[in-house]
Amino acid sequence: MRKLKLLPAVYKWIGLILLIPSSYLATHDISFLKTAHTGRNFTNDNLSDEIGFTGIFIGLLFLAFSRLKNEDEYTYYLRLTSLQWAVIINYTLLIAFTWLLYGTAFLAVPMYNMLTVLLIYIVRFYSLVFIKSIDRS
Amino acid sequence: MSITQEDLAKSISVSRQTIHAIESNKYVPSAILVLKLARFFNKPVEEIFQLEETD
Repeated sequence: MRKLKLLPAVYKWIGLILLIPSSYLATHDISFLKTAHTGRNFTNDNLSDEIGFTGIFIGLLFLAFSRLKNEDEYTYYLRLTSLQWAVIINYTLLIAFTWLLYGTAFLAVPMYNMLTVLLIYIVRFYSLVFIKSIDRS
Repeated sequence: MSITQEDLAKSISVSRQTIHAIESNKYVPSAILVLKLARFFNKPVEEIFQLEETD
């Protein structure tokens, strides 16, 4: 069993807690987060969605790669198969929605696709853990 | 010798689900785990694990 890079188990909660305000930030503009004058040309002058999406990505990464209480070679196997499963499902959905949506409606596809690989992996791995009653922290 | 999955799992530091998955043919353990099991039962590896036709 090769060493997997996994964060301490507490990061599961940090990630979860990070997701809630970040999802709000990503979808709503908070007026005080205006761009400071940095000398570069920003075309939008509100940074709340940048901060929000960064928070979402980091929160999902924390959720996905935090340790369970007891990791052994079987959980390593479950992680690996869940990861491949998530990538395959993600691209299947991508192909389906590429043909189902056109024009500006299609723009929703790459936007949600940024999140779906990690999200599908998280749902798949933790539901396997739950079904097999493996001890989580 | 009768022993629970839980006790076996604890003594070779894996989870009970790992033992269960091995027994129900859902997971092939690593060489290290196979050797640990053989040592635990004091039997040669081939008495506990056999190659299948498809291997």
